[in-house]
Amino acid sequence: MSNTILQNLQIVFREVFNNTTLIITPLSSAKDIPLWDSLMHITLIASIESKFKISFSFNEVMQFNNVGDIIQVIDQRLKR
Amino acid sequence: MELHPSFFFVFLIVVVTLNYFFSARYRPLFILLASIIFIGYLNLPSLIVVLFFSLINFYLAKNITGKKFKFLAALSLNISAIIFFNFFNSSTQGPEFEFHTAGFNIPHFIVSIGLSFYSLQNIAYITDIYFKRALPQTSILNFFLYNSFFTKVISGPIMSPNEFMAQINSNKPSSEMISSGINRFVIGLLKKMVIADGLYPAVHAIFDSSNNYNGITTLIGVYLFTIQLYFDFSGYTDMALGTAKMLGYNLKENFNLPFRSTSITEFWRRWHISLINWFTNYIYYPIVYYLRAYKKIAVFIGIAATFLVSAIWHGLNFTFLLWAFCFIIYMSFELLTKAIRTNISRRFPPLVNKLFSIFIVFNGVCFSNIFFRSESAIRAFLLMKNILSNFIPANWLSDFVAPLANGGNLMEQFNFLITLLLMSFLLLFERTINKKATALKIDILYISICVMLIMIFGVFNNTERFIYMQF
Repeated sequence: MSNTILQNLQIVFREVFNNTTLIITPLSSAKDIPLWDSLMHITLIASIESKFKISFSFNEVMQFNNVGDIIQVIDQRLKR
Repeated sequence: MELHPSFFFVFLIVVVTLNYFFSARYRPLFILLASIIFIGYLNLPSLIVVLFFSLINFYLAKNITGKKFKFLAALSLNISAIIFFNFFNSSTQGPEFEFHTAGFNIPHFIVSIGLSFYSLQNIAYITDIYFKRALPQTSILNFFLYNSFFTKVISGPIMSPNEFMAQINSNKPSSEMISSGINRFVIGLLKKMVIADGLYPAVHAIFDSSNNYNGITTLIGVYLFTIQLYFDFSGYTDMALGTAKMLGYNLKENFNLPFRSTSITEFWRRWHISLINWFTNYIYYPIVYYLRAYKKIAVFIGIAATFLVSAIWHGLNFTFLLWAFCFIIYMSFELLTKAIRTNISRRFPPLVNKLFSIFIVFNGVCFSNIFFRSESAIRAFLLMKNILSNFIPANWLSDFVAPLANGGNLMEQFNFLITLLLMSFLLLFERTINKKATALKIDILYISICVMLIMIFGVFNNTERFIYMQF
């Protein structure tokens, strides 16, 4: 399940950052992707919500430190 | 009531000594009592106000989780208090806030010391509990201490309940902490008494007199204000953190080499950190989250709202709105042009990029601070006009040195030169000095040099209080 989420997230990341070769891992964070700033972060969150048809809570968004955290929450949501 | 430095030093020595020997059980109660005496001595109404708001917030927060009406009422109460305080503050600036020799006059009026700082803490407290991010405090005494802790009550740093409360019961002042606190306090005193107060006459001459000085004189005065503000507030912060450390508490850092920032965004991560963290967590993030469907637009609305609220927090004055407007433009520009700027910067050596960025950021901050410091928008625009006209003075001594050096006789020139040299030294070797200031052992040489510089070059006939006390 996590791998499928990661693959789908990679598609979103590539679209948002306009980079077709971007590879993400669960440990990827804003430190690893130079253009991942506050402006891109919110675009990313909105795009992920749209892609997976879910809605993150405010507390969840505030606790995202890396891709792994996002995968974990998406995983929980999809299991509901 | 005036706070005489001699009173403060005796108070500090007594409190630190007794606190060290008290058992862990009685220490928080003792520091609370010391804080009550400190605030009450400065201004009795302020003590009543801080205890009143602490009491109200403590009880309102008890059953606030998920109760929207109660939450909004608590929020309105704290916001109204800040606006009310700032309204009176901006309308009574002047005689109420004048300083006198060797001490600062605390207004006897309704103005409440630190209210706009601890009200932000109270807003954070009730918001975190409402959104289930924290649990209500069970000890009212600990909550009183959180709001009234005397080393941070005047101008922060602003701390979240989780950052401060956890330290109350585990508090253990060690000899290393006392040594480290002394190291930190001494550099704060030096920053305030030698640099910030030493620069005051130059800044005062440029901003407060009706003379139209030459371009370069005005420009240097404008630069010096931003540097004065930094040394004044970071000096205060060093003293606040140093004092807290002597009592066994670690307060939040407020500054991290802000003049080395290579972008405005980075500058706001390094300048008045505790306030910016608050604004980011309780204004910017919620706005951006709720408007996230609008993607990038949400970010720009978030930035605009954050700086507008920050402007109102600083005071109900048009100049603060213009100051905020500058930063809204700077930050929006940075976000919109990030990709282009990254591409351009690749063509130049990293050091050139860095120095150029630092220069631009510093000038941008100084430009916006013209509004921050000026008494009116008209005065601010006049200063900008002065910078652009008659840039080079006809007579350097009378048109450049004299206004900045408080008159321009040899003694004043010498004092001004020393202040500039020490200021440059502290800015250039800030990282090394910070290591000395946070060292766990007393460095006799470092302390002696600081004390000697304060005794020789410190401004003792102080006419200027801490700049941030007015907010």
